[in-house]
Amino acid sequence: MPRELGPSLNERQFFLQALKEEVRIDSRGFGDFRAIQLDFGDEYGVSDVRIGKTRVLTNITAEVTTPFPDRPFDGPFTITTSLSAMASPSFSGPPSETEVLLARLLEKTLRRSGALDTESLCLIAGRAVFSIRADVHVLSHDGNLTDAACLGVVAALRHFRRGDSEVKGEDVKVFTMAEREGVALSLLHYPLCVTFSFYEGEVVLVDATLSEEQMREGSCTIGMNKHGEVCQIAKLGGAPVDAVILLSCSNLALRHVERMSKVMEERLLEDAKRRYKGGIKAEPSSENARVP
Amino acid sequence: MAADPILLPGDYLDPKVLPSHPSKALKLGPGLLHIPPNSIVSTVAGRLCTDNKKNAVWVEYNSGRYIPVVDDLVIATIHHSATDFYYASISDYSSNAILPNLSFEGASRKSRPQLAPGALVYARITLANKHMDLELECVSASTGKSDGLGPLTGGMVFSVSLAMARRLMLPKPGEQGQLVLLEELGAAGASFEIAVGRNGRVWVDSKSVKSTLAIGNMIQRTDQEGWMVEKQRIMAKRMAKEIS
Amino acid sequence: MAISAEPTVVLSHLHHTDGSATFSQDGYTVIGAVNGPIEVSRRDELPEEAVVEVTVRPAAGVGGTRERHLESILQATLRQVIFIHNFPRRLIQITLQVTSTPDNDSVGSKIVQASVNLPILPSLLQTSVLTLLSASIPLAMTLTSILLAVTPDGILRSPTIKEIQGANSVHVLAFSSHGELLVAESDGIFTMDVWDDVHTVARRICCVETSANDSMQEDGLEEKAGGIMTFVKSVLQEKVNQDLNWKK
Repeated sequence: MPRELGPSLNERQFFLQALKEEVRIDSRGFGDFRAIQLDFGDEYGVSDVRIGKTRVLTNITAEVTTPFPDRPFDGPFTITTSLSAMASPSFSGPPSETEVLLARLLEKTLRRSGALDTESLCLIAGRAVFSIRADVHVLSHDGNLTDAACLGVVAALRHFRRGDSEVKGEDVKVFTMAEREGVALSLLHYPLCVTFSFYEGEVVLVDATLSEEQMREGSCTIGMNKHGEVCQIAKLGGAPVDAVILLSCSNLALRHVERMSKVMEERLLEDAKRRYKGGIKAEPSSENARVP
Repeated sequence: MAADPILLPGDYLDPKVLPSHPSKALKLGPGLLHIPPNSIVSTVAGRLCTDNKKNAVWVEYNSGRYIPVVDDLVIATIHHSATDFYYASISDYSSNAILPNLSFEGASRKSRPQLAPGALVYARITLANKHMDLELECVSASTGKSDGLGPLTGGMVFSVSLAMARRLMLPKPGEQGQLVLLEELGAAGASFEIAVGRNGRVWVDSKSVKSTLAIGNMIQRTDQEGWMVEKQRIMAKRMAKEIS
Repeated sequence: MAISAEPTVVLSHLHHTDGSATFSQDGYTVIGAVNGPIEVSRRDELPEEAVVEVTVRPAAGVGGTRERHLESILQATLRQVIFIHNFPRRLIQITLQVTSTPDNDSVGSKIVQASVNLPILPSLLQTSVLTLLSASIPLAMTLTSILLAVTPDGILRSPTIKEIQGANSVHVLAFSSHGELLVAESDGIFTMDVWDDVHTVARRICCVETSANDSMQEDGLEEKAGGIMTFVKSVLQEKVNQDLNWKK
């Protein structure tokens, strides 16, 4: 039953006083994100997102399964989030509220907005489809898991390559990466989340740290893509917030989503460049790949 | 540096490196274990330090979680109160320590400080036995004076590494710990109050939110970025100008 | 993908944990975190010693029997390594997250489950010890571990998945810094003589330090990687020097 104490009274008082003077504890602006770092693994479909001290690792895997009988053309897409003792000792044991909320928000933002074209995963209707699974591992929790995890999943989905496949009559053959180059997933749009924290009725902070999250009165997560299409707005309890503030939040969210999309775009491009070996796969060689 | 070898857990100490004092008994400090009859073994990864005057030997290392030792000063957070005790926490996820209601300066049955859950106290550890609950006090048992201990009001808490907390509490931080930050800040005219807990918490209070934050952040950065004396001097001067 | 035999380590890089380490070797990457000694639930507490809880989490999917098996080996080993009597009624919680395993292009995407338990064990053992060292939890010793495969061509160090499938038996051995055997897990058919050979080879790789040994030079493979103990030492030396740069 390990428990976390949370901020002391002194910290709370100091924090609120600082907000009145328009200062954040880490001297960021109210509407600013911490530094975002996005990396990809050696394997396809592994992304590593760092927002400040928060770190989320996402791993995408695909396998051939039979589809659900009521949706014979759709490949299942599941997102599993796991908060382990690595992120905080209080996360051992049954799923905590943080974990359930994180899973729901990702579900709402990514699955219900139709980000992944599940019909493109169909091999033989009703018989064989690719099922895509995203495992989100939270390695370090310093607030704003939702935004980090959402960015991680979208980046990993875009980075992932499934094995190329061939259907001959009733038989499905999936090639390994060595045999044939992998196929990218078909994504219809790239929704991202931005979470706002509310204090004292009118102060709005973006990308709250863990201690800021522990002290907030309410929060709201907006999921949208870079074209400004809102996929979901989640305001789960907490203090009531003025409608006008919510409107300005969604404007700010768009700015951040545009910026995050740009970072993702750049990093994907860099990774593709790193992997491109001058079309070596198309140019088979009889020589052994030896280190000279 | 060659005289201070790096030790790993399980390394036996060479009897040659032990200080030999004619009269005093050898004192073993943190990180060392005596296996009878006459081997001394390291239990952590760190650097061996010896003091010939005190005939002491110990391992200097930075560790993750604070392990309580009697007479250490810590900053504790009140968790809840019972009839005779406050239950206070000195680090997250560790079990609570007991702070008797009457162990404050001038406290009696009728007048004693009322502390709400979440309040901070600066306290000394009086009992740290692995089989018992930790016990704290905010008053010196012999003199009845607080000696600077007691509830901390206002200010802000910053967390630092345990090694940094020890450095801040050295009698001569400049000479022994390459730490001149606080002295330089004081010399440059910044006024502030500070309390350092061995559990890796530093409480800072000053006249404004901005200066408290600036001082706290500077202590954290000195710790994390490993600022040496020169850099500490420069930054302290720059900051003193900004906040005054 | 090219797999480097040289192990790499990053220490104390996760926040909000008491100690952490990322260790990669032979295509396996494991991130470890430790918290402790912390409060343990009444139900689990031991009156005289600390509870050591090990969780192994696979890169994809949820853990199953395989992970539980690995956890039980790790837990039993680490209880010997940590001074558990120093922290009665406390918990030392170790989480090991596997982030990548060597992909086997040649055999198809599905890894053969039967013999897959052991190859990852050395990486897990090594990560957990480095994590404990990063947190400076009092230990009786450090440990080094190695995977060996006995094939018709001889004993192979750090075999690939293909080599493991062709091997007669695979063995994981771990030694304490005093040279004592801590873990011996084997899979396959072998005689006692073969095991003795495996033990000798493993001991040489794990315990002997590169500086004072010429016998290593015989074998090209071993010469390059050297004693694992030497590697662990150099990693920690760096950490201690960095932590204590203020100490003259």
